Amino acid sequence: MGEAVKPGAVEREKSGGAGNRRKWGIGSRGLFRRVVIGVPFLWLAGLFLVPFLIVVKISLSQTAVAIPPYLPTFGDPSTWWSGLTQLTLDNYVWIASDDLYFNAYTLSLAIAAASTVLTLLIAYPLAYGMAKAPPAWRITLVMLVILPFWTSFLIRVYAWIAILKPEGLLNQLLMSIGLISEPLVILNTPTAIFIGIVYSYLPFMTLPIYASLERMDHSLTEAAADLGSPPLKSFWTITFPLSLPGVIAGCFLVFIPAAGEFVIPDLLGGSRTLMIGKTVWLEFFTNRDWPVASAVAVVLVAILVVPIVIFQRQQARVG
Amino acid sequence: MKSLGSIRRDFAPWIDPASSPFLRFEDVTKRFGDFEAVDDLSLSIFESEFFALLGPSGCGKSTLLRMLAGFEMPTSGRIILDGEDMAGIPPYRRPVNMMFQSYALFPHMSVAKNIAFGLKQERMAKGEISDRVQQVLKLVKLEDYAKRKPDQLSGGQRQRVALARSLAKRPKVLLLDEPLGALDKKLREETQFELADLQHQLHTTFIMVTHDQEEAMTLADRIAVMDKGRILQVAPPAEIYEAPKSRFVADFVGNVNVFDGTVRSATGGRVTIETTGGFDIVAERDVGVEVGQRVSYVLRPEKLKIAAEPISGPNVMEGEVWDIAYFGPVTSFHIRLDTGAIVKVAMVNATRQSPLQLTWHDRAFVTFDEDAGLVVTQ
Ligand SMILES: Nc1ncnc2c1ncn2[C@@H]1O[C@H](COP(=O)(O)OP(=O)(O)O)[C@@H](O)[C@H]1O
Ligand SMILES: [Mg+2]
Repeated sequence: MGEAVKPGAVEREKSGGAGNRRKWGIGSRGLFRRVVIGVPFLWLAGLFLVPFLIVVKISLSQTAVAIPPYLPTFGDPSTWWSGLTQLTLDNYVWIASDDLYFNAYTLSLAIAAASTVLTLLIAYPLAYGMAKAPPAWRITLVMLVILPFWTSFLIRVYAWIAILKPEGLLNQLLMSIGLISEPLVILNTPTAIFIGIVYSYLPFMTLPIYASLERMDHSLTEAAADLGSPPLKSFWTITFPLSLPGVIAGCFLVFIPAAGEFVIPDLLGGSRTLMIGKTVWLEFFTNRDWPVASAVAVVLVAILVVPIVIFQRQQARVG
Repeated sequence: MKSLGSIRRDFAPWIDPASSPFLRFEDVTKRFGDFEAVDDLSLSIFESEFFALLGPSGCGKSTLLRMLAGFEMPTSGRIILDGEDMAGIPPYRRPVNMMFQSYALFPHMSVAKNIAFGLKQERMAKGEISDRVQQVLKLVKLEDYAKRKPDQLSGGQRQRVALARSLAKRPKVLLLDEPLGALDKKLREETQFELADLQHQLHTTFIMVTHDQEEAMTLADRIAVMDKGRILQVAPPAEIYEAPKSRFVADFVGNVNVFDGTVRSATGGRVTIETTGGFDIVAERDVGVEVGQRVSYVLRPEKLKIAAEPISGPNVMEGEVWDIAYFGPVTSFHIRLDTGAIVKVAMVNATRQSPLQLTWHDRAFVTFDEDAGLVVTQ
């Protein structure tokens, strides 16, 4: 009896309802999808694209003793056309012609790259240890990694001054245990910048690597061992390749902000290491040359867009 | 001469006093904290045997297998494989391979690379590796899938890759942890026979863990029924089914009626059991019992006969037809005795039409022969 009812029910669904429902489904889902995609899109356009275009426009303007300190300003609609004709690439030519900027860019990228590698070397074992810890501990360990975020970034960087300065905590400690007889000069050197960046960005490297290691099936390494592979070899053939998405995500999360970093080089690096963030700041506030400052920023964005696009491609492939 | 389950088996090294076991667990215990997952277990397995560990979930089957593979160390006891004590030998040096319950295929490697992984560890020559990969791919009928990644395969294909990978190194013992557990029913049945054929071709010793009694019965030369970290009985499938040594084994493997009672007389080859249900059972005696001893009588449903008319003689029960289910090859009846106990009867539909006419709530009579069931003392 039960069997006699079922085919009928299936039949009914097939003949009428399902078709209509599908048609309606597509319609409402289409609208829903547009809203879902549209909201963040408008958000990005309003909060990122428009300000960026304003910066691009300023970078094409000329310095002027005025408020704001550049021309043209596009305040009055009647002057828009003549304003457009005044836009110029002079600032970009200026940046290209002065070694100072080139050096700042290369130094920034080099420091960002080196500190990304250093961060990776510290974060990977950390994340590995966290992922291998008993499950009950893991939440606590993740909390410890993000604990520094509860304090202001600026204050934490200032704290490093207290640690690294010649009469600071580190030197006092090293001298009291007799390891050194004279204070080490760390503050206001590139070393201090590395320490600051590695310290500040460690969580951004650790967490994605931890996430990829933690969700890895433990039986994979057992299977590798079962098939005759010793532990270290299993790490390089199985564990590490499978954690690469996390490693790559972490590297981008560190490299991109580190390249434009201003606070850390300014507070810890002293005046001799001129990174690009500091350069923008100097142009903007010391020279009051907004157009050149904007041009420097636009070029930095252009340089970083390349790795960002690679990053996005990579993420899309993983997803 | 009679045989259990109407099968004559030619491969039976366990009854041959001249053959010595290939693999031995000797008083093996494994504790996790206070919990005893494997409890003082001893077991012998012979070369080329297809051995099944059968038991409910959590009874320690996987733990036993993992100790043999080297992922867990026994708390005490020894494991001896082909004359060699496995203690202190890491997993990557043991001559056994395991097919994991989750398959554990390497997701970033193609099917061929997965299979070649174990061979590369042996520093085998390139050409030899690819020959061997081709050979096992052919064995599991996946020649056309060598370049695919695991996530481009169906569940059944992944299962075969896992099997191929664990066979590629030609282990002395192949360990299979619920190898068919993730497949749907139809695929499982097909794969069962393929697995049996494969074992027959290769003569490798297979140890399979399963909680599915049908799977164990179909595939294994011998079955060990486990419960709570202990082995209750080790025997060929027919013996496990027809001559279970305990209530648990009888109950776990197949359907069974259990009548608890006390031995009233035990004379000659017969015992009479007074059951708690109030009726007497006269049975053939095949275990030593004493008068007054508490025993259980276990009786498979298909060994009972059912009739609509009263039957005379010993071993007759009467009750009401409580439930009927028609399965095709058999029709299953649940008869409710006047004491309230339910007796399961399976009638084989040997002919297309049956003279038996029974419907719900009819009176029915059930009888069985003296040697139909089994007296068990545990
Ligand atoms: N690493 C472990 N730590 C603690 N308990 C475990 C561990 N591995 C298994 N157990 C426990 O041992 C018992 C037997 O497990 P297992 O051998 O996996 O059973 P199964 O027969 O289902 O394969 C289970 O109760 C399980 O919870
Ligand atoms: Mg298990």
